[in-house]
Amino acid sequence: MTGLNEIKSLKLALFVLLFFSLLAIATSPLEIRGRAAPPAQTGQPAAKGIRAIVIDHGHGGLESGAKGKFGALEKDITLAIALKLKAVIERNLALPVELTRDKDIDVSLENRAAIANNHKADLFISIHTNSSYRRNARGSETFFLSLNATDEEARRLAYLENNSAELSKPLAEDNQDEIRMILWDMAQSAYLKQSQSLAEIVQDELNSLLGTTNRGIKQAPFKVLTGVACPAVLVEVAFISNPEEEKDLVQESFQGNVAEAIYRGLVRYLKIAA
Amino acid sequence: MNTKRWVVLGLSCVLLIILGFIFFRGGGGERIKASAGMPPSSQTPEPGPPAETKLITLFLPAEEDSLLHPETREIPASASVAEEAKRVVEELIKGSERGYLSPFPPGTSLRQLFITPEGVAYVDFSRDIVDKHLSGSSAELATVYSVVNSLAFNFRPIKKVFILVEGEEKETLGGHISLSKAFLPLYSLNSE
Repeated sequence: MTGLNEIKSLKLALFVLLFFSLLAIATSPLEIRGRAAPPAQTGQPAAKGIRAIVIDHGHGGLESGAKGKFGALEKDITLAIALKLKAVIERNLALPVELTRDKDIDVSLENRAAIANNHKADLFISIHTNSSYRRNARGSETFFLSLNATDEEARRLAYLENNSAELSKPLAEDNQDEIRMILWDMAQSAYLKQSQSLAEIVQDELNSLLGTTNRGIKQAPFKVLTGVACPAVLVEVAFISNPEEEKDLVQESFQGNVAEAIYRGLVRYLKIAA
Repeated sequence: MNTKRWVVLGLSCVLLIILGFIFFRGGGGERIKASAGMPPSSQTPEPGPPAETKLITLFLPAEEDSLLHPETREIPASASVAEEAKRVVEELIKGSERGYLSPFPPGTSLRQLFITPEGVAYVDFSRDIVDKHLSGSSAELATVYSVVNSLAFNFRPIKKVFILVEGEEKETLGGHISLSKAFLPLYSLNSE
C-alpha cells in the first residue's frame, strides 16, 4: 500500500511540475520559446542590423560601357556618382558602404555580386547610364531582376522566395560546390518583393529630384543582379546616348542630385523595412 | 456471315477515309510532300508557278517610342522551321523598309540557327554583335527582344531563344542583360 501511495504522490508531483513548466514557457518572452519565424521569412531586414550597403557602378577598366557623343564614358560617370553616394550615406547614416570598385578597374559581373554577398550586404545598388538606338530616348528608370522564367519555373522560385530562410542557412563543411552554383543562380529570387519595393521608392525620389523623364520601374534579367542575396536594384540614371542628358550626366551638381535621390530612397526603404 | 463481313468492310473503309483525311489534311504550317499511298494531285508542288512564300512579322524598335513595332515581310517558304527562322533573323539584320531602327551593330551576321526538340532556338551571331554593341540596358533589351519576339511570334515550335556569339555562350552583349538563360518572348514590349 505504501508503494501505491508513493507512486501516486510522485505522479502528482510530476504533474504539478509539468503544469508550472508549461505555464512558465507559455508566458516567457519569445527568445526562450524559440523564434516564431526567422527574420528572413518576414522578408524585411531590421534596420538596426544592417551590415553593409554595397554600391556597384557599371563597368570600369577596359570595359568602358556606353559612350556619349561628346566622349563621356559610362564608367567615369557611374564611379563619380557612386563615390558621392557613399559619402552622403556614411555622413548621414553612419552605415558601412562598400563599393564594388573604387578605381577605374575591371571587375567581372559575377564578382560584383560576390562582393555583395561576402560583405553580407543588406542592400545592393547598381548605378548605370543608359544607351539606346533611339536618338530621343531619355529619362531615368530603376530595374529589379526578372526571373525570365516559365510559369513552372516561377512557381518553384516563388516557393524559395517564401522560404528564403533556407538560402541563408550555412552550407555543410564538406564540399557542396554544385549546390552553391545552383543556389547562386537563384539567390536574388528570394528577395524580389523587397527589390521591387526598393525600386519603386528609389524611382520616386529620382523623379522628384532630377527632373528627368520618368521611365518607371521595370524588370529585366540583369547579369549583375542575378547572384545577389539581398534586395537589389539597378538604376539607369539617364541616357548617355542622348546629347542633352549626356551634358547633365557629366555635371557635378547633377551627379550630386542623383546621389541625394538614391540616398533618400534608401532612407525611406529602411524606415519601411524596420 | 456475309452481312457481318460487309459491315466490317464498310467500317474499315470509313476508318481508312477518316485516317486519310487526318494524314493528308492535318499538321501545322509545314508543307508535307505527299509521297505514300495516293496523293491527290492538288497537294504535289507544281513546277511552273513561283515558289511558295510565307508572310512573317518582324519586330523592330522605332524612334517614336520604347516599343517593338511589327513589320511584315514575305520570305521563301521551306519545309524546315529552322530554315525559315534563319530567314527571319536575316531579314531582321537586313533591316526595316519602313524606317524602323536596327537593333544590331553594323556588320552583325547570323552564323547559324538550330532548334532543339524542346523548342529552344539557338541563334548564333558573329562577334560584331558584341564588339560594336552600343552597350546599355535599352539597347541590349532591343537587340535581344527583336530577335526573341520575332522568332517566337512567327514559329509555334519556338518557345525560347538562346543567344550565342561565335558559337559560344556570352555573359551579356554589352554588360547588362544576362544571356545565360534562354529567353521567353516578352510581348508586352510589342506595340501591337
